[in-house]
Order: sequence, then C-alpha cells, then structure tokens
Amino acid sequence: MRVSSRRLFSLLSVLIVLAMVLTACTTVAPAAPAAAPAAGGEAAASADSWWATAAEAAGCKDVTIKGISESTPPSNFSKDVLAPAFEAASGIKVELETTSWDQMYSKAINDMQANTGIYDFVYIEQDIIYSYLANKYLTNISQMLKDNPELASPDFDLAKFTSFIDNFKDANGDVFGVPMEAFIKVYLYRKDLFEDPAVQTAFKEKYGYDLAPATTHQQYQDIADFFTQWGKDNGEELFGSTVQGNTGHSSSFYEFVESIAPSFGVYNWGINQENWKADVANGGEMNSDKAKAALTFWVGLLNDAPPEATSSTWDEVAASFAAGRAAQGWVYGENAAWIATNPEKSKIVGKVGVALPPTAEGVMDDAKSGKGYIGYYDGGAYGLPVSSKNAKCTLLWLQYMGQESVQADWAVAGSRIVMNSTYDDPKVQEVDAKTDNYYTLMKEQGPLFRGAPPFPFHAAVRAVVEPFVWKALTGEMTPSDALDQAAAAANAELVNLGYGK
Amino acid sequence: MRTNSLRKTLGWIGLYTLWTVMIIVTLLPIYWMIVVSARSRVELFDTPTLLIKSFYTPNYIKPLSDPVFQRYLINSIIVATSNAVLVSILALFATYALSRWRLGGADNIFFWTITQRMAPPAAFILPLFLLFTRVFRLGNWQMFDTQIGLILVYCVFNLPFAVWLMKGIMDGVPPELDEAAFVDGANRWKVLISIITPLVAPGLAITFILSWIFAWNEYLLAANLTSVSARTITTGLAEFVSVTGTNWGEMAAVATVAILPALVFLVFIQRYIVTGLTFGAVKE
Amino acid sequence: MRSNRMGWGLLTPTLVVLAIFGFLPFFYVAYIGFFNWNAFSNQLGMQWAGVNNYRRLVFDPAFLDSMGRTILFAFLAVTTELALGFLLAQTLVKSFPGRAVFRTIYTLPLIMAPIAVGASWRLLTIPGFGPIPYFLDKWFGFDFNLGRYGTQAFITVLVMDIWHWTPFVTLTLLAGLTALPKEPNEQAMVDGANRWQVFRYLTIPMMMPVLLTTIFIRLMDALRIVDEVFMLTSGGPGTATQFIGIHIYRVVVPKTDYGYGSAMSLLVLYFTIVLCWLLFIAMTQVGKQKE
Repeated sequence: MRVSSRRLFSLLSVLIVLAMVLTACTTVAPAAPAAAPAAGGEAAASADSWWATAAEAAGCKDVTIKGISESTPPSNFSKDVLAPAFEAASGIKVELETTSWDQMYSKAINDMQANTGIYDFVYIEQDIIYSYLANKYLTNISQMLKDNPELASPDFDLAKFTSFIDNFKDANGDVFGVPMEAFIKVYLYRKDLFEDPAVQTAFKEKYGYDLAPATTHQQYQDIADFFTQWGKDNGEELFGSTVQGNTGHSSSFYEFVESIAPSFGVYNWGINQENWKADVANGGEMNSDKAKAALTFWVGLLNDAPPEATSSTWDEVAASFAAGRAAQGWVYGENAAWIATNPEKSKIVGKVGVALPPTAEGVMDDAKSGKGYIGYYDGGAYGLPVSSKNAKCTLLWLQYMGQESVQADWAVAGSRIVMNSTYDDPKVQEVDAKTDNYYTLMKEQGPLFRGAPPFPFHAAVRAVVEPFVWKALTGEMTPSDALDQAAAAANAELVNLGYGK
Repeated sequence: MRTNSLRKTLGWIGLYTLWTVMIIVTLLPIYWMIVVSARSRVELFDTPTLLIKSFYTPNYIKPLSDPVFQRYLINSIIVATSNAVLVSILALFATYALSRWRLGGADNIFFWTITQRMAPPAAFILPLFLLFTRVFRLGNWQMFDTQIGLILVYCVFNLPFAVWLMKGIMDGVPPELDEAAFVDGANRWKVLISIITPLVAPGLAITFILSWIFAWNEYLLAANLTSVSARTITTGLAEFVSVTGTNWGEMAAVATVAILPALVFLVFIQRYIVTGLTFGAVKE
Repeated sequence: MRSNRMGWGLLTPTLVVLAIFGFLPFFYVAYIGFFNWNAFSNQLGMQWAGVNNYRRLVFDPAFLDSMGRTILFAFLAVTTELALGFLLAQTLVKSFPGRAVFRTIYTLPLIMAPIAVGASWRLLTIPGFGPIPYFLDKWFGFDFNLGRYGTQAFITVLVMDIWHWTPFVTLTLLAGLTALPKEPNEQAMVDGANRWQVFRYLTIPMMMPVLLTTIFIRLMDALRIVDEVFMLTSGGPGTATQFIGIHIYRVVVPKTDYGYGSAMSLLVLYFTIVLCWLLFIAMTQVGKQKE
C-alpha cells in the first residue's frame, strides 16, 4: 500500500475535519425520533390550551424530558402515540428510551442512586416500587399536585384509577407513580382443541371426566399429559403446557413465586414478614411441603412442555403459545390480545380461551378473604425521580398519560387497563369479545390476584434464590433440596442486608 | 515413484478437504444468521431448513427505516471513525515522542495499561458512570450519553496496542532523517508532518482500521454509558433479545448489517490483523 | 533544540486520556472494594468494611465455583485452540492455489462483534427452531437442549469460542512459522533427526516467543469472556456457564452489590496477573531445558 505523503495527509485531514464536524453537530443537537402525530392528538385537542398554558407558566416550553422503560406494547404506545400528541399540545418534547428489562433497571437505579438527573420519569414495575420507596428515589405526586394547583390538570383524577394504584401508595395513601399498565397472568388454553368433539371423547375415555379448563392441579396435569400424547399420536408439534423455565434468567423464578407457588398456597415467596426468615424451622414457608409440591408439579410439567421451555422467558412462552405449540399455559395478560387477534404474529387467532388458573384446596377461599391470592397482578407505573431536573414539566406529562380520554386506545394497543371506566369503553369491549372476555375476567376477578410482596430487598433475594430454581429445572437438584438450600440462602442474604438476625 | 505421487495426491486431497470443511464451519453461523434474517416471524416457527426460498425484506426495511436505528447506525459510524482518528493521531505523537526523546519512566506506563485489558470489564461500569454523570459536567451538559464520552473511553482500549504497534515502526525510521531535515532549516513539527508521517503511513492505516473495528464492535460500555442519543448498533442488537416476542428475524437482520463494515475492511486488513491483535509483538 | 518539553508535550495527551479514563476508574474500583455498598440494603449509602469483602470472597461458594468453571473453560479453550491452530498453521505455510481465499474467509470470525458471534450461535442452537438441535434429533435422535443440559451448554460455549478464536491462533503461529529460518531444520535432518525430533527440539523452542504471546493473549481474553456467552446462554442453564465475567456483572448490575463486585474484580485481576506470571516462568523454563 504505497501512498504518497501528500495524499495521505490530505485524506487524514479530511477525515479529521469530517469527524470533528459530525461529532460537534450531532452531540449538540441529538435528533429526536420523528413520529407522525397520531390519533391520540385529536382526543386532547380540546384541552390543548390548558396544557400549553400550564407548560408555559411552569417555564417548560421547548424543554425535553427523558424517560426509560421496557420495550413492550404499552410503553411503545406511550412513546409513539402519546408523546407526539403531548408535544403538540404542550410544547414539551418527550424522549422515551425503551430497552431490555435488565438494562432498564440498571440504568434507572444507577441514575437515581447517583442523583444524576438523567431520567425525568422512570418505569416502576409493581415489584420494585418498595425498593424505590425505601431508598426515597421518588417524588410524592399527590403532594406535588397539592402544592402546585396551577399544574393540576382538570382531566387528571387519581380516584379514577383501578385499585392497582394502591400498589404505588405509601403508608399515608400518597401516590408515587401514575399507573400505565396492568394485567393478570392468566390461564390461556386452546379453545378450539378443548371444544373439538373428537378430542373431548378421547379425553373422557382416558380420564373419566369431561374436558374443561383445569380448576385443580391434577386436572391441569392430566390435560397436559393428554395433549402431549395427542400431539405425538397425530404427528403434530403440540405439547401439553408451556413452562416459563429459562434456566439462566429471572423469569423462571418469577413464574414459580408469582403464579405456581401461590396457587398451591405459598404466598409472598414463603418469607415470614415478621422475623424475615424463609425456612420452615423459623416460621417461613419457602421449603414447606406445599412449596415443594408446587416446585415438583411445575418442574414435572417440563415433560409436557416444548423443548424451548428451558430457554423461555415470558416472551418465548407467549411466542410458543402463539405458534400453536402448547395446549395451555400461564401467560401474561398483555399478550392475550395479540395472540388472539394478530395474524402477523400468531398462528392461533380466534382460538384462544381465557380462564382462572387452577388452584389447590383452600387457596380460592384465602384469595376471597384477602389472606392470599391465586395468581399475579402485574403492571407498572411511571414515576418521577427526586433527582429529575424538570419535575414540573414531567408532572404535566404524567398527568397527560393519566387522562381518561387516552385510556381506551391505549388498552386496545397494549392489552392493559388501569382505569375503571376503560372497561366500559366500546372499543375495549370489542377486543374483549375477541379475547374470550379477558378484560371482563380482569375486571371481575382481578381482586383475587395480587402483585409482588412489599420487599425492598426484592432484587437481592431474588438473585440468591433463582440459581436454585434453575438447578431444579435442569434436574441438577431435586425440588426438595433446591428449596431447602434456597431458604437457607435467602435467610443469609436477608441477614446480610440488615433484615432480621 | 508410484507410491510417492499417490501419497502426494492424497496429500492434496486431504489439504483441500480440510480447508473446505474449515470454510464451511466458519461460514455456517453467519450463513444461518442471514437465512434467519430472510424469514418472517411465522415462517420461523416451521421446521428449520438451510435453504433460502424467499427473502422477507421487511426484516431489514423495518429496522433500517426506523429513525431510532438509523441513529444507532450513525452513532456507531461517528464513534468508530472519530475514535480511530483520535487514536491514530495520539499514537503518532506519543510514539514519536518516545522514540526521539529520552523521557524517563514513560515506557513503563504502557506496561501498566495491559492490566486494563486483563481486568473483567463489568466492574468498571459503575466508576465510569459516576465519572460521566457527576464529574465531567459543564452546566447542563454531562458526558453521559454523548459520543465524545464513548470516543474517549475507547481510547483506553485502543491506545495501548496502537502505541506498541507504532513504536516498533517509529523506531524503524532512522533519526538521521530528522537530523537532515533540521540542517535544511525545518522545525520539529514540519519533520513530523511532512517526513515521518508518510513513512509510517501503513502503520497508521492499520491502527486506524483495527481501532475502528474494536470501537464498532464494543458492547458493554456502550450499553451502560449511553441512553437515547449516543446509542450504538451493538447495543441495539442486544436490546432485541428482550423485546416482546423476541423478533429473531429482525435481530438477525440488524446483526447482519452490524458485521457488514467489518466485512468490507476484512480484505484490506487481514494481513495485519495478527500484528494488531498481538499488540505488535508478532509481525506478519 | 532538544528540549524535553516538546517530547512531553506530544506524549501528554495520550497520558491524560489514559489516566482519566483508565486509571481513575481503576482506582475508584479499588477504593469501593473496601466498602459495603448495596443499593438495596437496609442501611443506605456506603459503609466502611475494610477487608471484609475480600474475606467473604474467599469463602463464597458461588464465587469459587465461578472461578473454577472459568479456569476450566480457559484451559480447555486455549489448549484446543493451540493444538488446532498449530495444525492448521502448518498447512498454510507453503503456498498453494486458493490459499489466499481460504485465509481471508477464515479470518471472518475475528472481526465480528462478540455480541454478534453470540447472537449467531444462539440462532443456530435455539431449541425449537435452530438447525443444530433439529438435525441432531432427526439424524441421531440426540436431545440437544441448551436450556436443560449444563454440560451441553458448556461444550457449546467452548465450541463457539474455538470457532471464534482459532483463526487468531492459526494466523499468529503462521506468522511465527514463516519467519523461522530453514537452515537449522535442514541441518538437523541431514544429521539424521526425524520429523518429530525436529519439531520438538527445534521448532518449538524457536517458536517460543510467538507461542507465549499467543497463549497469554488467549488466556487473558478467555478468562474475561462475557458478551458471547451472555448472548448464547445468559450464563445458564443454572450456573453452568456463569463464568467470572458474567458473575461479576450479575453482582454489580441486578444485585447492585457494588462493594462486593468491585472487590471481586480486583481479586480476579490479581489472580489473572499471577496466573500469567506463573505461566511465563513455566514456559521459559521449559524453553531453557530444551537447550
């Protein structure tokens, strides 16, 4: 490669200048994602003047606020539809960074921890709110609205939200996050298969009772075994159940403690909230017989699950089910809508049935009395970090998203409902019909489900317990040993963090 | 005679078989990635075949027309290029200085920079994050989520090998040339720019390209030190894995796009890769 | 004329960049290692812990397991790559038609982003639609499932690393081989030595510097591996492929145990340096004996 000195020099200098110019230009003015103003804008048009005035009064005109969330349909709706509409209405620009679940946490926590004010609003999953509250990361929204009446939108009313908002309140009933998504992890099943007469006859012949969505674990097991065999006999890639059993990701831990264990009667991870112990000897339930039965049942389902089960997080479970590879499973509600209606992503459009998950004896009564719960009520809110530098502008944005008028479209796009009135909206009812009345189920039976327990140490204890769940899934440990050791590890970590002795 | 030529032929057959197999093995993951990028989501659920029957272009068009991804690509290009330029210049200056002057103790510093390469990267995320957000600020501006931030951090990885590489080459340029130029009335700068630089140009070119590739490929720091504005394409790739219903087709398409520039450079640098990766210790 | 000022002036920008972005974080990591700092603990903020973190580390089974696993992986990877690389390098020494093409294509893995390497291997091995599990099941009835079998995952990661880095070893050793003088070999053959003896007593000692460089670089990188493995297995199933790089990431990021993670990083760095040092001594001793 012989280059003359002149040419090389000129090439280098051109490159240097080009690089410097590009760097200067783009660092100073980051390009905003260009999105066409969408339907949501029309709904807010009438209240336009209020947002614009409020924004101006608060000194927020042309300010850009930044947020971070997981990349899910509800978050993407807020980014693609609500943000541009808000900008049109108020002049405040919103930049929402959507990223993976782990990255989102680490960046939000790093920011709030270091008080660096990078993010003006953060996604708060219902299970992490307690840690955030304990660390005093978040602004008291109720208080802020009281202190700044000129910022309180007439279209925003905290009382209109479903009881899900209670998760984001402190002991005084003040709200620290505006709910943006909520769904229950339900029992999905293949309605077409369950209603097929040939299948029904074969099942009754084999098991002696009519085929119907399972209400007990034994029934669930029978159905799972049946369909796995059916798949084999008919040469189809059909299995009896999904299992969210990724052996390297927290999702498996979550399916166990959020859905399976509670359905057997083990609540709040089996951790005794008075002395902060997890093992039976000290009053906990993590290694109780019920818990061991739960883990054994769940790990046993792997025999009836598609091979990708041990690599499946919530996303893959939904994908497997949508590909028609499983006859039933515990699936997060946010997926129910697209699996039932979107032919581009799902092979089983119109064939999805929704029901309450099976439970052990006594669990339903516990749930009804409030002592326990039958499954997981998931969801999240957008919160305002104390470290934010644009608190007032962000408060306006949060209220904009919390308006009643935007909820219906949001529900249709993201299968989530956080406001009572949304259930009655005609658009939502239309989708409800197509998804075997998932929304009706959520409205009526929602109270039987509950979110994560109020643990500020949520992530730390999860990190020490999950390896044992993984080992049980791979068969490296028996469920019994896994839970015994998990309970011991949880105890140790709790003491290490300063809870209990 | 007969057996000798038979052995020879067998030897040739063996050699070519071996290398054909090696090439197939080498290309298999990349080929499969392209195959996946050509399939739609629903097609992917079917049994896997190794043939490409149809090309599902939306997998490419969707991310490439998404302004967010376009920004990632542009950021990657800017960061990689600027870093390569910066490293080349700094290495040129530094090695010239080390080669032409006796600067006490400076040599040892570069030995210590090897330890940077030995340490597990994850723990540096927090200190760099704090530095970028707390220490390096000017009024409202902070170094977090800027291209400059990444460009400077990548220097830490690229400079050591660049300096080792360039030092060898620089030492090969006799100081007599400098002396001759001084006699003619030139000053140091002129010597450096007009005489030295052209002579070490091949070394600079290698430095440039290898730094470019490293900066382009880097993931961990890019993911943790950027947010919306300065994100690079490698981070964008990792994000796909946790998006609802992991879109393998689009992820494969983005991955294919991510390896294209390196493919282009491959032809130019494959002769110098060894020198680069061994810190100049082994020369081709 | 020869004032040192200009020299230092030319050198300073480099030193400054390295000091600020390289050493400063490094010292900060060392500093944090002496504190108990966990974002989720009951006591907020940093608490002085002295050498407690290090003491905990020595008895921490998760840490020790991970280290052991990493060392095993590094050992297997480096030795296999060395053997395979040497073999392939030998075949490339003499020119033959098509050699350039083979070499160029063979270099591809080296320039791919590690995360892309992990992604492409993941696509190959996903149970359910990857071709490898599918064909292994179809042709051999073999249940290949990375989510289930730890040993399979470990081996796959090993194979991926070998795929990724053997070209590096091959090319480096090739450079070394082509630079070797031919006369000693020819002399020895004339003196009646056979191919094996020539290899063992002449080639290897002469190749020692190149071999050392290659082994060090591979060893350092194998001990630090993160991106590819994370993309392929997330460290699973269970902890079967949770090498120390990923383990530290897990401690620092989701667990936010900054103090502990920092102490761990320093300890691992120290260990790596010691290991390389021992290896260096061992190999130069072996080299000396041959003479």
